[in-house]
Amino acid sequence: MLNGEQWSQLLQSFLEEGGDLLKQAEECLLVLDGDLADEEAINGLFRAMHTLKGSAGLFSLTPVVAFTHQLESLLMAVRDGERSLTPNLISLMLRCLDELGSMIGRINVETGAVEGNDEVLQTQLLNALAAEMGQGSDSLPTPTAPREGQVQRAPATGEGAWHISLRFSPDLYRNGFDPAAFVRYLSRLGEITHLEVLDENLPDFHQMDPEACYLGMEISLRSASSKAEIEEVFEFILDFCKLRILPPESSLSDYLQLIRELPETDERIGSILVASGLLTEHELNTGLTMQAQGEEPRAPLGSVLVEAGMVAPAVVNAALEKQQVVRERRAQESSLIKVAAHKLDELINLVGELVISAAGAQLQARAHGHSDFIESTQVVNRHVEQIREAALKLRMIEIGDTFNRFHRVVRDVSQELGKKIRLEVRGADTELDKSVTDKIADPLTHLVRNAIDHGIESAEERLAAGKPAEGHLALNAYHESGMIVIEVSDDGRGLNTARIRQKAIDKGLIDPNANLSEHDLHMLIFAAGFSTADSVSNLSGRGVGMDVVRSAIDQLRGTVEIESRPGLGCTFRIRLPLTLAIIEGFLVSLGGEYFVIPLDMVTECMELGDQPLIDGIYGYLNLRGKPLPCIDLSAHFDLPASAVRRRNIVVVSQGRQQAGLIVDQLHGELQTVIKPLGLLFQHLQGISGSTILGSGQVALILDIPSLFRQLQALVDTGASETRSVQNRQELLPRL
Amino acid sequence: MSKTILIVDDSMSMRQLVKMTLTGAGHQVIEASDGRDALTKLNGQKINLIISDVNMPNLDGIGLVKEIKNRNEYRFTPIIMLTTESEQGKKAEGQAAGAKAWIVKPFQPQQLLAAVEKLVG
Repeated sequence: MLNGEQWSQLLQSFLEEGGDLLKQAEECLLVLDGDLADEEAINGLFRAMHTLKGSAGLFSLTPVVAFTHQLESLLMAVRDGERSLTPNLISLMLRCLDELGSMIGRINVETGAVEGNDEVLQTQLLNALAAEMGQGSDSLPTPTAPREGQVQRAPATGEGAWHISLRFSPDLYRNGFDPAAFVRYLSRLGEITHLEVLDENLPDFHQMDPEACYLGMEISLRSASSKAEIEEVFEFILDFCKLRILPPESSLSDYLQLIRELPETDERIGSILVASGLLTEHELNTGLTMQAQGEEPRAPLGSVLVEAGMVAPAVVNAALEKQQVVRERRAQESSLIKVAAHKLDELINLVGELVISAAGAQLQARAHGHSDFIESTQVVNRHVEQIREAALKLRMIEIGDTFNRFHRVVRDVSQELGKKIRLEVRGADTELDKSVTDKIADPLTHLVRNAIDHGIESAEERLAAGKPAEGHLALNAYHESGMIVIEVSDDGRGLNTARIRQKAIDKGLIDPNANLSEHDLHMLIFAAGFSTADSVSNLSGRGVGMDVVRSAIDQLRGTVEIESRPGLGCTFRIRLPLTLAIIEGFLVSLGGEYFVIPLDMVTECMELGDQPLIDGIYGYLNLRGKPLPCIDLSAHFDLPASAVRRRNIVVVSQGRQQAGLIVDQLHGELQTVIKPLGLLFQHLQGISGSTILGSGQVALILDIPSLFRQLQALVDTGASETRSVQNRQELLPRL
Repeated sequence: MSKTILIVDDSMSMRQLVKMTLTGAGHQVIEASDGRDALTKLNGQKINLIISDVNMPNLDGIGLVKEIKNRNEYRFTPIIMLTTESEQGKKAEGQAAGAKAWIVKPFQPQQLLAAVEKLVG
């Protein structure tokens, strides 16, 4: 018996499997939503429910079994063409899947019970389903006998009869066996329609051994028994006769069908034949022995079996085909391993430590100047580098899964609003870190809802504007210079800058006289407490504004930009780092302190000339004829004034904004293992985390977006009050 | 058709079970408590089938089979051996000695009857 812990483990994997199955089912339903007759989707949906029911049964999850049973019954009717799907039915079934998901979510792993099961809701859903089908739930057809475990035998009762061929060995009588007894027993299984005793081997009378058996028999048996059951009759004399049992001609095709439908679990050809009931265990063993005794090169088992007359050639061919299918499936499956996410996190953490200690070793080697030592640490570092890359790749998953869930969101939301919207997904195979995927899903949902609610117009408006009635929403993902770019674009009305401006003034977010560029106006929608919708629908206006989207993206060290074309549509473009664990950094120092700037934000470095900043901390410099806003980081962070004579500027960019950070020394690229800041320091402006250098020193990671915002705030609140608004805009053109 | 069957087992309850099963199906039953006892029952009377335990005092099942094969009038009498999983090692020895039908204990009475029918039905 299994102990409690094993049981919980099994249940845990059922919960995982259940989630996957529901997801599959939902995908199928959404396919069906587009094409009600998609056979593959119907079958997929049915299989998912069937498997779920089967597994739930193993764990005695009665409510789940009962519920899936009804769904399965309905789907069976659809599959068999007795019913047809309607969009209403699909909506209902989607709700049923939600309920199933919540049932599975409420399963207590310890007790194995569904806690707080909402039977009322379930009955309501099932009744609604039954009503949609146009009949009471009782009359839903029940599914056929379950296929789990035992394989269904092909029916052998039809026309024709089993053919049994017996050749007794001479020893039969001497071992106390009477052939007649077996034949009599055989008649219990069915009707012996024909029996012929073969006596051609009988020798002349005076040469005959009275104790030897010279007989053979050909028997026709009409019976519903399986081949194995028939063979069992002769179990005691299997060693003393040659037994061949051939299935009725008419049921051969049934067997072939059965072989094709066998669950794809075993790939040995013998096992396939035994599972189909065409070959008995004993025959298989005999066949294997014969094969083993055969000459090299050994004949394939299939041909051995056919030659021995155990099975028909057509059957072996069918089994071979089946084997091929299973093998192909296996090959795909075996290339995937499921690993718990926390194990990967652990590995990444360790790799992070390894990167740091390897850097430390290299530093030591250089300090000692021992050339062999340096060389070997270099080799170690190269390998660490490879390990780091490989480890980070483990966490990379395709964004497609996240994208696919939006089919449902788009469907639900557009139906609720009475809009027709087509969702297009591109770049679903673009990979990014799993933790990023998890965190980007909510902001994306918000953007998608917003696009549907505010962006895309009603069908009438669209037609009036000369656009197709059906709205178009696209999700796109691609890699660009070490970042992943995710775009949410619609072909709606675009952002109304005049209204945004008015709203912002009303809410006191900007000065009525402020002269803002189009881009700055667009970005205002991300400001806290900003909402342009005239009526707050329960879709996008859930009290969470776009500022939540912005902060979620900031937390991922990403950026977002808006590209709006009035009347033509709007695109939100999110740029995110591929991973959150280890980044390429650029190490700089201010006095004795080290800082890391994310390398993907660094555009260039140059030496700072003699020109001083306007007020010592903030100002602008001339970068190839363009003004470049700059911050003296030492002064900004209130560090002791620098003693270094030749200082440097690191030019960083975020989207279309650019700024120069004035630092003391540049130390070059660094594999930066990100360590979160302690609770106490989490609200620090301008610092997003820390890392440990090879020397053991701590370096702070600069939060560039936050620095940009601080600069912006300084401009707005008049840290440089002396200059006119006009002047400030010039000074910090893009901030 | 009624058969005369010899049951050899040192376990009284086992003999009881087998006897009840067989008499229920209309067969005549002769009992023996071990191999040596069984040999005394093979005294010329007509016996259609022998059902024997393997592990018994005095003369065990395998020894009994060897003796039976030496007796002219009983050497073609079919024998069913009752055995347990743990005695599977003895099976080869017993088969070589001439016992071809084996039933593993615990068995359903139905199973025993089926075997009897197959051999002497």
